[in-house]
Amino acid sequence: MKIKLEHGAGGEIMEELLRDVILKNLSLNSAGGIGLDALDDGATIPFGDKHVVFTIDGHTVRPIFFPGGDIGRLAISGTVNDLAVMGAQPIALANSMIIGEGFDGEDFIKILRSMDETAKEVPVPIVTGDTKVVEDDIGIFVITAGIGIAERPISDAGAKVGDVVLVSGTIGDHGIALMGHREGIAFETELKSDVAPVWEVVKSVADAIGWENIHAMKDPTRGGLSNALNEMARKANVGILIREADVPIKPEVRAASEMLGISPFDVANEGKVVMIVPKEHAEDALEAMRKTEKGRNAAIIGEVIEDYRGKVLVETGIGGKRFLEPPAGDPVPRVC
Amino acid sequence: MKAYRIHVQGIVQAVGFRPFVYRIAHEHDLKGYVKNLGDAGVEIVVEGHEKNINSFLRDLREKLPPLARIERIKKREVPVQGFDRFYIEKSSPGGSEGDSIIPPDVSICDDCVRELFDPTNKRYMYPFIVCTNCGPRFTIIEDLPYDRENTTMKEFPMCDFCESEYKDPLNRRYHAEPVCCPVCGPSYRLYTNDGEEIIGDPLKKAAELIDKGYIVAIKGIGGIHLACDATREDVVEELRKRTLRPQKPFAIMAKDIETIKEFAFIGPEELEELTSYRKPIVTLRKKEPFPLPEILAPGLHTIGVMLPYAGTHYILFHYSKTPVYVMTSANYPGMPMVKDNEKAFEELKAMADYLLLHNRKILNRADDSVVRFVDGKRAIIRRSRGFVPLSIGIPFGYRGLAMGAELMNAFGFSKNGKIYPSQYIGNTSKVEVLEFMRQAIEHFKKILRIKKLDLIVADLHPSYNTTKLAMEMANELGVEFLQVQHHYAHIASVMAEHNLDEIVGIAVDGVGYGTDGHTWGGEVIYLSYEDVERLAHIDYYPLPGGDLASYYPLRALMGILSNVYGIDELEEIIEKCCPKAVESLPYRRVEFNVILTQLAKEVNTTYASSTGRVLDAFSVLLNVAYRRHYEGEPAMKLESFAMRGKNDLGFTVPAEGELIKVEEMFRQALEVNAAPADVAYSVHLALARSFGEIAVEKAKEFGVKNVGISGGVAFNELIVKTVRKIVEANGLKFYSTYEVPRGDNGINVGQAFLGGLYLEGYLSGEDLML
Ligand SMILES: [Fe+3]
Ligand SMILES: [Mg+2]
Ligand SMILES: [Zn+2]
Ligand SMILES: [Zn+2]
Repeated sequence: MKIKLEHGAGGEIMEELLRDVILKNLSLNSAGGIGLDALDDGATIPFGDKHVVFTIDGHTVRPIFFPGGDIGRLAISGTVNDLAVMGAQPIALANSMIIGEGFDGEDFIKILRSMDETAKEVPVPIVTGDTKVVEDDIGIFVITAGIGIAERPISDAGAKVGDVVLVSGTIGDHGIALMGHREGIAFETELKSDVAPVWEVVKSVADAIGWENIHAMKDPTRGGLSNALNEMARKANVGILIREADVPIKPEVRAASEMLGISPFDVANEGKVVMIVPKEHAEDALEAMRKTEKGRNAAIIGEVIEDYRGKVLVETGIGGKRFLEPPAGDPVPRVC
Repeated sequence: MKAYRIHVQGIVQAVGFRPFVYRIAHEHDLKGYVKNLGDAGVEIVVEGHEKNINSFLRDLREKLPPLARIERIKKREVPVQGFDRFYIEKSSPGGSEGDSIIPPDVSICDDCVRELFDPTNKRYMYPFIVCTNCGPRFTIIEDLPYDRENTTMKEFPMCDFCESEYKDPLNRRYHAEPVCCPVCGPSYRLYTNDGEEIIGDPLKKAAELIDKGYIVAIKGIGGIHLACDATREDVVEELRKRTLRPQKPFAIMAKDIETIKEFAFIGPEELEELTSYRKPIVTLRKKEPFPLPEILAPGLHTIGVMLPYAGTHYILFHYSKTPVYVMTSANYPGMPMVKDNEKAFEELKAMADYLLLHNRKILNRADDSVVRFVDGKRAIIRRSRGFVPLSIGIPFGYRGLAMGAELMNAFGFSKNGKIYPSQYIGNTSKVEVLEFMRQAIEHFKKILRIKKLDLIVADLHPSYNTTKLAMEMANELGVEFLQVQHHYAHIASVMAEHNLDEIVGIAVDGVGYGTDGHTWGGEVIYLSYEDVERLAHIDYYPLPGGDLASYYPLRALMGILSNVYGIDELEEIIEKCCPKAVESLPYRRVEFNVILTQLAKEVNTTYASSTGRVLDAFSVLLNVAYRRHYEGEPAMKLESFAMRGKNDLGFTVPAEGELIKVEEMFRQALEVNAAPADVAYSVHLALARSFGEIAVEKAKEFGVKNVGISGGVAFNELIVKTVRKIVEANGLKFYSTYEVPRGDNGINVGQAFLGGLYLEGYLSGEDLML
């Protein structure tokens, strides 16, 4: 086997790599709680009557500075969000940076300042780190690890039939903005990434309805909403039905995605959370999300259903229903 | 004195076969019985003189009722039991997994039409009138044997009158299972779109409402139609709005042949097809000037027409002033045709003003079939009502399921050397359609008495729902699973229909997933029991935005042009030739610039060798059509436009090795100064010449005598005719399909054929996917 780009694209091919290669070779993989084999957003370690949640995320985004953020903000948000969607309050972060020889010093400082600012937003301290410089022309990679404390860890596998699916804001912002920026595509409006830590949003909901009423949570990063929902459906062995018209999408993101032929459901978000809660708590959860700055565009987008276990359906009004598949790397035309 | 037990297989149930046997047994003075078996076959026991039995057997083969077909007769001598008469025995569930099948739905026969309008007849103006020679079959049959209790007629117990006819061997309704009358049978009711019943004669009122310009949903044989007055432009326009079909040609139903002749040309073969018991929609050439509203089939030189095929239709036209109705299936684009009353009230609210519904369930949905005559021969666009479940012979005996492709789907079951293609399923990217497909698969399995499968065959496309469903089924049932390349299957369908050993095939098509991951659709393929090989293909061109290029063919045009012109030149060319195309994009100039960047930087760009997209692109370049509102629209309109061309401008499509350089033809078209219709005409000829000549050259090289054409573009008259002439001029045999649909609606037959080649060890799985 040769590693291909698709192996890291967050789709089915990546799933195969994780299951068939990584998990098969790393056998000691649990510390008594949710372990590596759950392929969740992070691991949990039971600690007294609480749980330590531990996660790590490597950031290789190109370009390093993009509309709405940069690799530093992304590195903090990515790890904080992985903790948050496990139901854990972020306690401390570790920061490893791998820098290519010749990297601009000013840019380096800009990145660090951005990390600092983002960390304060949460707030969470960066308590340890590691710096390497390599000859290869890689620019900069930022790897962050984080620990958090959860009263009651929330997996992404807890959806129950009858539950309601919420999303904390507009979908597709990061992926489409980045692609537009990277390829120098001139859309009418400049798109911005949504990169941000979502702990505030998660906490607000937990305060309103209690941790025990958040059945499942996930941050829809690589592979976007499509991938996140499919994983949640598959892991809980339930069906998920969402209504296309209810999924919040910024008009400029919709326009850009329609021009590119790329679905906003399939691309990364870096400041959003998908939450599944019991029906009777859905309105409260929605209100709690909307109270926060980062959750003001939150919406109820669908529900967990009995049929089509392991699959996600999109209801498109008079257009009927279609399956929402996890993106499979390259798109392949199918319209004859 | 001898006695024989005879097992007859074929289409011998639901076609008046038992009464026929009864009659000839009496004629030859034989005793015994005849009965239907649960495998759709018939068992006969006859006792009598050897000589009489032999003449009975001769008549059995030679004097069959019109719809019956005998596939096989097994005869075994049995001890004489001493029957005192010949009678029709109650059906029994027995029989084997034989070769029998129920017949398709048959349009109302002349005898029944005569009675329908005879005021002295008990069934005067009764729309459900049938006899042993006509009426619904496939659509109402739940299970076998074909008895009333196994059909949706079981809810209507016969009255004494009907029963007396049913039991009278000399009556033409003897054992006609759906027999009924106004006293005991189903009936129509007319409702407003909020479900309020309208009092009065429902059919008469419905006809009046149509005359007044209303849109009426009419439940018929295989589903529900939306009907309206086809002579009124405003009404047709309204129907377009309500059904969200701005452009798709509407099929119309005309009262009679004379009416059709007023607005369309009918050739002798077309007449035969129109009036056949199948009563399909036949696309006919419009007369010019066209006396009906142009918006019935905007931008096309043809119009799809059918004749009345049920009592309902005859009665409606009897009361109606207008002799032509639009009769389009009642559904939103891409969704299955509505067939149930409850659903009708829910889903047709916004489409129909009134609903004319009957209370007999439609068990199996069957859309109207659509047929076109191409180069003088029948080409089936949609094979459904009237055809299904008839079979097509293949030289492989395995039991298999071929799933078809994604759009225009039909699946097919293979069994004992035959493939039984399903009714039209539709666009399987919709969950609702996939559900219908699942049910239809179960139904076919049941009526074909297929218990265990040897193989499930699907398309190579990884994201077709049919591929995924096939994989799931194969896993669940523990059946071997095979994927075959789309265009190999198209060409295999030609081999299947004509039972060929080898062929050089031209697969001209919209989109199919290639073995190299690119999008194919303009291929020359060698296919035989020994090998399959892609010999030549349209040179790949980029499709910026992937599927978007199907809906906005300007994208395909820009992609193809980018093979010969620089990105910077594209803007100028488009500006000069088809500036309006830019305006047709949803985001206009901004989007146009995005496409240029997509091409320059290969953002979400796929590579294709599709012939369909080439024709689409010319449609844009020549300002014929900028959008695809329905499948094939830009290419179909281009063909209609080309029909007005007269001069062959002599374009050429050079081949370099295995690459067919269509982009060169675009260059020639841009440099020539000629009437656009002539350009369109010449494009068709040049493309066809190129494919024809390459295929002939390859056939000679391989020593193959047969050249065939299939795929969605094989409905194109100019292309098919030109290719045929080249092939025949070179002393080779030309084939297309005349029974199997040439587009994706027929691909299941090719898949099943390849499945046979695979199972019998002629071709490997790798041959078919790599
Ligand atoms: Fe095709
Ligand atoms: Mg992560
Ligand atoms: Zn009849
Ligand atoms: Zn009756």
